[in-house]
Amino acid sequence: MTAWHLDDDALRRYVERTDSLAEGASAEQHLMACEPCRARVNTTVTAAASRVEHSTVEHSTVEHSTVERSVTELSMTERSVIDFAAVWERTRDAIEVPRPSVFERLLRGAGLPAQEARLVAVASAFRGVWLTGVVAVLAFAALAAAVGHARGMWLFLSVAPVVPCLVVASSYDPWMDPALEPELVTPYPMLRLILLRTIAVLALALPAVLVSGLFIPGETAFAWLLPAVGFVAVVLAASTWFSPLRSAVVVSSGWLAVIWLLAFRISSPDAVLQAPAQAAFLALAAASFSVFLVRRRRLHQLRPWR
Amino acid sequence: MATASISLRDVGRTFGATRALAGVDLDLKPGVTGLLGPNGAGKTTLLRLLATALPPSQGQLSVLGLDPEVPAERTGIRRQLGYLPQEIGFPRGFTAFAFVDYIALLKEWTQPAARHAEVRRVLDLVGLSDLGTKRIRAMSGGQRRRVALAQALLGSPRVLILDEPTTGVDPEQRVTLRTVLAEIARTSIVVLSTHQTEDVAALCERVIVLDRGRVRYDGPVTELTGQAAGRVWLADEPDPAAKVSWRTGTGRYRNVGGRVRDGVEHVEPSLEDAYLLLRGGSPEPETTQEVAS
Repeated sequence: MTAWHLDDDALRRYVERTDSLAEGASAEQHLMACEPCRARVNTTVTAAASRVEHSTVEHSTVEHSTVERSVTELSMTERSVIDFAAVWERTRDAIEVPRPSVFERLLRGAGLPAQEARLVAVASAFRGVWLTGVVAVLAFAALAAAVGHARGMWLFLSVAPVVPCLVVASSYDPWMDPALEPELVTPYPMLRLILLRTIAVLALALPAVLVSGLFIPGETAFAWLLPAVGFVAVVLAASTWFSPLRSAVVVSSGWLAVIWLLAFRISSPDAVLQAPAQAAFLALAAASFSVFLVRRRRLHQLRPWR
Repeated sequence: MATASISLRDVGRTFGATRALAGVDLDLKPGVTGLLGPNGAGKTTLLRLLATALPPSQGQLSVLGLDPEVPAERTGIRRQLGYLPQEIGFPRGFTAFAFVDYIALLKEWTQPAARHAEVRRVLDLVGLSDLGTKRIRAMSGGQRRRVALAQALLGSPRVLILDEPTTGVDPEQRVTLRTVLAEIARTSIVVLSTHQTEDVAALCERVIVLDRGRVRYDGPVTELTGQAAGRVWLADEPDPAAKVSWRTGTGRYRNVGGRVRDGVEHVEPSLEDAYLLLRGGSPEPETTQEVAS
């Protein structure tokens, strides 16, 4: 017999399995030794079962089965004061359910719901390619700062905008996402999945921009954002015809060719940084994204290039 | 709940100038249907059409009374569909549990407790309940195939499309999987393609033989096997007139098709014998263009 007892809330959480693993284990240890608390378990179980039975249930298969299982579990608890099945389930969860990766926790921290964060973080592209891209941007930013203002800016501008579109393409290209075919035939909208991953890439590129701003003088560190958004939109639109990665490679190669050509013809990259050029990139993004949305039906089935 | 059904009317699929399927008419009901055919016969294309991964280029396809060309109805089909593609990769670093859990998320299993229970159930069905925490990259080919199969079984789908489900799976596990699939097929449509005729013979009540994008045979397995009755025999020498002939473990030659001589030892034909006869003994289909699967 122990001096203290489980309070009503703790007992309810234990019965309804809404307590933590540690809290549940502690409650069970106590129940092993405390007969009055064991007696209270039955009362609490009855009350909880009554709540479950009277709750309004939507007739979806998943929710229905969840309620059925809850009632079954509660019945089991009635038979056995210590719900070994529940303990076993929680133990298995602790062992089998994968812990969120650093990247996934970062996405959750940025406000993405846990389910969405998992769907985004699964993409192979985010497991190394994204990091490589950001490191490349930072390296080129540092190099740009080292080689001087004009040449450095050209160098930085040639690399920074292509990294996001390459990473976006990698996040849903079959070559990089080998599970694409089973993903495709699930009810989850492919458009939503692609846009989630795209937005995650762009959002996570921002810290790189901010850091690179420490190295690059003037507005260059931010001037690549609109070209990047434009190129990402072009890749999204082109991927309704061609492979995303192939589209990204073509767009990136084109951009590199244009930048190097401009660098030889004009000494200063100001023309690229000024408002007309930035507006053109914005228009490119808007037009490409419109094409992407118009052709979004093509995303829901395997395309000929698959 | 109405009986599940799939119907194809004059369905065809082309890839540019290449015709992969032509004029396919089929009605599929609950039960296991086996799909046989050589490489490039159009099996994978047909399964992709049934799984809504590809749209047909021509004809009418209806799955569970729904039209896969209509977005909302396609989503409705996908909610009741399990699909195992011929080739499937896994995200790097994933365990079996993590991968199936990920696909379950995409299949709208949003409640974590229910989802985890379902993941455990399907891993148990394919005999991987003890390997949930093992990284897929460290698994054997057969184990990986079973992980892929597990994701297709999520939610006990009414339509189960399996492209070569038993590739690399050991004989013991194949028998277990047959039991699982037979149970599912009591209420669901199960269509599987395979090169393993013994799987079809053991599991399927109906077999469809595809060749160059066209249906060459569609009917009961027993009927196809029956077509080979009296055309398979053992002899001490290979028969040059036989369609196929090979030396068996006893040292005698198994001859299939061709001219049957007097005094030979007739044997019970297998489905493989019947399939080989069908492939080797029928006129070429009308398809003239090269096809791909």
